[in-house]
Amino acid sequence: MNKRLPSTVFFTRLASVITTLFGISIFVFIVLRVIPGDSITGSLGIETGALTPEQIESLRAYYGIDKSLFGQYFSWMGSFLTGDFGFAYSNGVSVLELTKSALPVTIQLALFGTIFGVILGISVGMFSASKPGSVRDFAGQFFGLLALAVPGFVLATTLVTVMANVFGYFPNGFEYMSPWEDPWMNFQQMMFPSLVLGIAVAAPVMRTTRSALLETVDKDFIRTAHGKGVKHRVVQFKHVLRNSLIPIVTMTGIQFGYLLGGAVITEKIFAMPGMGRQILDAINKREYATVQSSVMIFAIMFVLINLITDIIYRRIDPRIK
Amino acid sequence: MKRKKLAIAALAASLAVGTLAAQPAKAASTSLAIGSVLDIDKLDPHTATNFATVRALGLVYSSLIEVGPANKLKTGLATAWQFSADGKTLRLTLREGVKFHDGSTFDAVDAKASLERILDPKTTAAARANISTITSISASGRYLTLNLSVSNIPILAALDGVNMAMLSSTDIAAGKVGGTNKPNGTGAYKFESWEPTQSVKLSANPTYWMGEPKISDITIRVIPNEASILSAMNAGTIQFGIISDPLIAKQVNTRKLKLYKTPALAYYALQLNNKVAPFNDKNVRLAVQCALDRQEVVNTAMLGQGAISGPITSPAYRSSTTARPCPKADLAKAKAYLTASGKTDVTFKALVTSTGWATSVAMAQNIKAQLAKAGITMELDITDQATYVPRWLAGDFVATLANNGGRIDPDTMYTRYFTSTGNLNKVATYASSTLDANFLKGKSSAKSSVRAEAYTAISKELEDNAVWVWIATPFEYRVADKNLKNFTALTTGSLLPLRSASLG
Repeated sequence: MNKRLPSTVFFTRLASVITTLFGISIFVFIVLRVIPGDSITGSLGIETGALTPEQIESLRAYYGIDKSLFGQYFSWMGSFLTGDFGFAYSNGVSVLELTKSALPVTIQLALFGTIFGVILGISVGMFSASKPGSVRDFAGQFFGLLALAVPGFVLATTLVTVMANVFGYFPNGFEYMSPWEDPWMNFQQMMFPSLVLGIAVAAPVMRTTRSALLETVDKDFIRTAHGKGVKHRVVQFKHVLRNSLIPIVTMTGIQFGYLLGGAVITEKIFAMPGMGRQILDAINKREYATVQSSVMIFAIMFVLINLITDIIYRRIDPRIK
Repeated sequence: MKRKKLAIAALAASLAVGTLAAQPAKAASTSLAIGSVLDIDKLDPHTATNFATVRALGLVYSSLIEVGPANKLKTGLATAWQFSADGKTLRLTLREGVKFHDGSTFDAVDAKASLERILDPKTTAAARANISTITSISASGRYLTLNLSVSNIPILAALDGVNMAMLSSTDIAAGKVGGTNKPNGTGAYKFESWEPTQSVKLSANPTYWMGEPKISDITIRVIPNEASILSAMNAGTIQFGIISDPLIAKQVNTRKLKLYKTPALAYYALQLNNKVAPFNDKNVRLAVQCALDRQEVVNTAMLGQGAISGPITSPAYRSSTTARPCPKADLAKAKAYLTASGKTDVTFKALVTSTGWATSVAMAQNIKAQLAKAGITMELDITDQATYVPRWLAGDFVATLANNGGRIDPDTMYTRYFTSTGNLNKVATYASSTLDANFLKGKSSAKSSVRAEAYTAISKELEDNAVWVWIATPFEYRVADKNLKNFTALTTGSLLPLRSASLG
């Protein structure tokens, strides 16, 4: 009985994931159909008014919106499950092709932003927690508050304007280069958007780190370690930080998930051809397949991030089974 | 310890300086990188409506007639034209020695096939309505003859532009236009590639009928934020920028960059729905017209970057801005009109797009504040452009702040709105037999004095009845590197003048 327990948990979790994803697919599909406009008005704008009823019918057939709602849903779901994700009419390629070029950009951006944010957030959090109530604590908390309060678009626009006007430097004005085409150019193009996203991640990570460390530092085993004469730095990193990692990992996972789906503005300002821009353009053009498939990809990634976070929990704390 | 810290600081500083110094070399002097907020959305010139698509394909395709500087018609693939005495037959003489990018020769058969493709309802061509008076086309050698159902002089202007692009009859017959087919035009630039959401690449056409362009290749790069376009121009990573936001245009440092500012043909208007209350009452419409200080809208919401306009913005027949019941704001007159309407309290909702153009919401807020002084309450119904368009098309509004495209000829600009059979009359919400008669008069005559008379009468009727409240025309901005020579900005927004431009 005990041996079967993990598989029961696995299947229960799998069923809940599939139900969630199915619910999301239905929700997005309905929301897109409820809002006014369709692929024709999204593509032609006010010129739609110049079309005859026959022309409109012909375009409805072209975009596949002449089918019943069930027909449209199952046709798209079929495309999604078979891996081509539907057709992006305004780009003349399948959504899979679009996603193949946009998703790596967003993942790289989110990854760089998260790494930068975590390093900065944990460092400032540790610095702040090392002497609660002191000037350094105040400085750390002030940084956290500032990073939370300054909107990303303000920081991004300021950075772009200053770098371009003062230093004549704006690598994002060049064509986007993947790390395989030109790693150095890719690094330069990723640097500033990652910095902007990283600062946004650093703030909650810093606050979480600070409170988790302050909670752990009062624990008996820390006093014991100090009493045994273990070096202060070793106690800080090996005992205090390690035992405070659970909330930090949770916060990092959440922030990484947000970055994957929420870097739209940063992608726009830095001209990064990522998923945020893809989904925003598709909403404006009422490209149903692109929006639906992109949202599903985000949802699947969120599920995967949760899974990875769970695995990391187990690695950090063997008591979690 | 101190040394270690110093070494780390030195390493960090050298990395930063190295990164700044290591910015890639700017594009070669014969290459031009253009920054555009929008990406193209298709490769079929006849169905293109997106500004970015129209601009990019305008460099790849040619039309029979072109609109040049000062909005004058000039020769394109047609070198001469002649109307019959009754104005119902137009004979065009085509240019010799023109080649498509695939090497085939352009002739009258291609021109006939192209126009027939536009006229075919299955094509869903954007400009089909503008040439729908063509009943038959004949091609013979260098000559193309268009037979028209009515005398239609403005059809000449309608033959300009990407939507009237000349295609290869072989491509049309083989269904090789649009979709994933590589565009094959007769234009100044050959289409090389399109990377969706990133860039379009073009190369100079060595056999172009005006001679090979001096700029050897053009990359239109998608930079979806106008402030970033300006930053890229300041950093020298792009050499040409397309901007619409007056706030960004005002930040252009003209010591470093060239700013081309031309009054657009497009116009902003507060469209009033003449069929529903309260605007089914002419006096209420006039009250709104009189309560509005257009210059204040231009000065505040548009940051002074616009010109007050009447209905017709076509340069040759531009409406007078003083020939209207209230050329300037007149609150006493506005209140008198309200009294005449018998209404003491007028409240209405105005549909406003938040994403249609940069100053839309600011303009709406200013108009709202101005109307409040006359006792008229305008509530804002703000929505995104994709939601705005279907509501606008359905006439689903009491009033709406609109940014409508203009044309160089008033006939193609307004026939579709203000004739009783116009396909956008549902949006215009006003038609009359006198308007129909005047549009017919303007369309049928080749004499500019007769045409001017007709369009002045049309303008007067629209203003006297306050059918809509026309406000202003914005400016079109092009920002270029100082090294760009021989470029002339056109009111149509076309990039075609780049064919004669050079860098350095």
